[in-house]
Amino acid sequence: MTATIAVQSAARNDGGLIPNVSEGPALLAGITQGPGLVSHRDRLGPAPRPRAEALVEMARDVDLRGRGGAGFPFAIKLAAAARRRAVVVVNASEGEPASHKDATLMTCAPHVVLDGAAAVAHALGTREVHIVVPSELPSLRLIVEKALRERAKAGERLKVELHDAQPWFVAGQAQAVLQLLAGRENLPVTAWKPEAVSGHRGRPTLLSNAETFAHLGHLARVGSAGYAAHGTAAEPGTTLLTLRGDGWDPEVREVAFGTPLADVLSNAEMGQPLLLGGYHGTWLRSSQLSGLAVSRKDIAAAGASIGAGVLLPLADGWCPLVRTAALVDYLAGQSAGRCGPCRNGLPAMAEALRDLVHRGGPAGRVEELCGLVTRRGACAHPDGTARLVASMLTRFPDEVDSHALGICRGNRREVFA
Amino acid sequence: MSEHLLRVDWPACKAHGVCAELLPEVISLDEWGYPIVHEPVKGDVLLLAKTAVKACPTLALRLTEPPPRPA
Repeated sequence: MTATIAVQSAARNDGGLIPNVSEGPALLAGITQGPGLVSHRDRLGPAPRPRAEALVEMARDVDLRGRGGAGFPFAIKLAAAARRRAVVVVNASEGEPASHKDATLMTCAPHVVLDGAAAVAHALGTREVHIVVPSELPSLRLIVEKALRERAKAGERLKVELHDAQPWFVAGQAQAVLQLLAGRENLPVTAWKPEAVSGHRGRPTLLSNAETFAHLGHLARVGSAGYAAHGTAAEPGTTLLTLRGDGWDPEVREVAFGTPLADVLSNAEMGQPLLLGGYHGTWLRSSQLSGLAVSRKDIAAAGASIGAGVLLPLADGWCPLVRTAALVDYLAGQSAGRCGPCRNGLPAMAEALRDLVHRGGPAGRVEELCGLVTRRGACAHPDGTARLVASMLTRFPDEVDSHALGICRGNRREVFA
Repeated sequence: MSEHLLRVDWPACKAHGVCAELLPEVISLDEWGYPIVHEPVKGDVLLLAKTAVKACPTLALRLTEPPPRPA
């Protein structure tokens, strides 16, 4: 415990990021030695470059999932993209305001991500790599540029292009990223085919989250047996979590799958409702948290999803309904406004929710709107918002009832407007 | 006859409502005038669906290929 605290202060990065970072078992193992290539290579040696079939097999062995939120099996994606003229896209844009794990990873351990990107590019027989960085963190771009210069000097022959994602919620969505790469506005469009089949300029495109590439680089280095040194038999490996990402004292941690939630959250936080998976995530009651582990399967059994690893314990004294209403106000404002059901449905949902939370309005209208926006957009923004709201209704029926009577258990009357 | 799926290109759809006029069997409109597709199309409805796809003023409606049959 003392060691962790010592590392935390040592690794508080100078890249302009707020969260505390502690050393982790795999991806974040070397962060106290700085982000440079020399220390990275001294610690780990040269990056191995397996063939596509070997990489697919390893990813399948350890059931590696994408870490952007959807949790898609990486082996399937990689096998689908392994064709002529493939393109690699590293998505570090992280549009979710409560997630900082990709920015932290890119800042503290850029070469861990870039090793993965290089391994994938080599396996796919391409040199074309695009890296999408958040425009609101210019220091992150500088760190990546520096890391790329170090690699070029060390002899790496990749054609890397950096792109600045817009600072809005839906900018990191896969189709929005492809639009950005094509020089158009960084907003989602309808996907008729998966991007692994037809992505950037119609070419097979391996577009994944930055953390996913980091895991892949680690996997290529240590093999599936080495990767399984952490985690459980069913879920090998580790995952990055952002704790309290939009609140006081945010923290990014790497934990092995199977780690009890009680080891991640404080005792006080274990007694609070938890919003798991970020603003598009699912509420869990405090009674559901004891015995729960950081595990896709356990969390799915509890009716939630780990998403991109965002954990938002409700602050003491807050009401989950008031918090949800404020989040939905924000999410409605983050609609790109391109798809009718989202442009009309999310503001209507925000209003119906305000009505329910602050004026004891009916829950029926909120439920109806959740149904009306789901699966009716180019991206999953309306679906995610509906998921958040639906989980509020199912987890906190007593609170909904008391709000109908004008009683709020939170002791903060004024939250937002 | 195999089933086809009707998919809406949501950013392209401007709620003209032509599809619901031509294909009330499968499509209704929500409170803002955007289509709600209720089920896959097959049989006689498929021809009507093709008409609706062609008639959409913003070309926002598409029939997607049925999944390939196992050989």
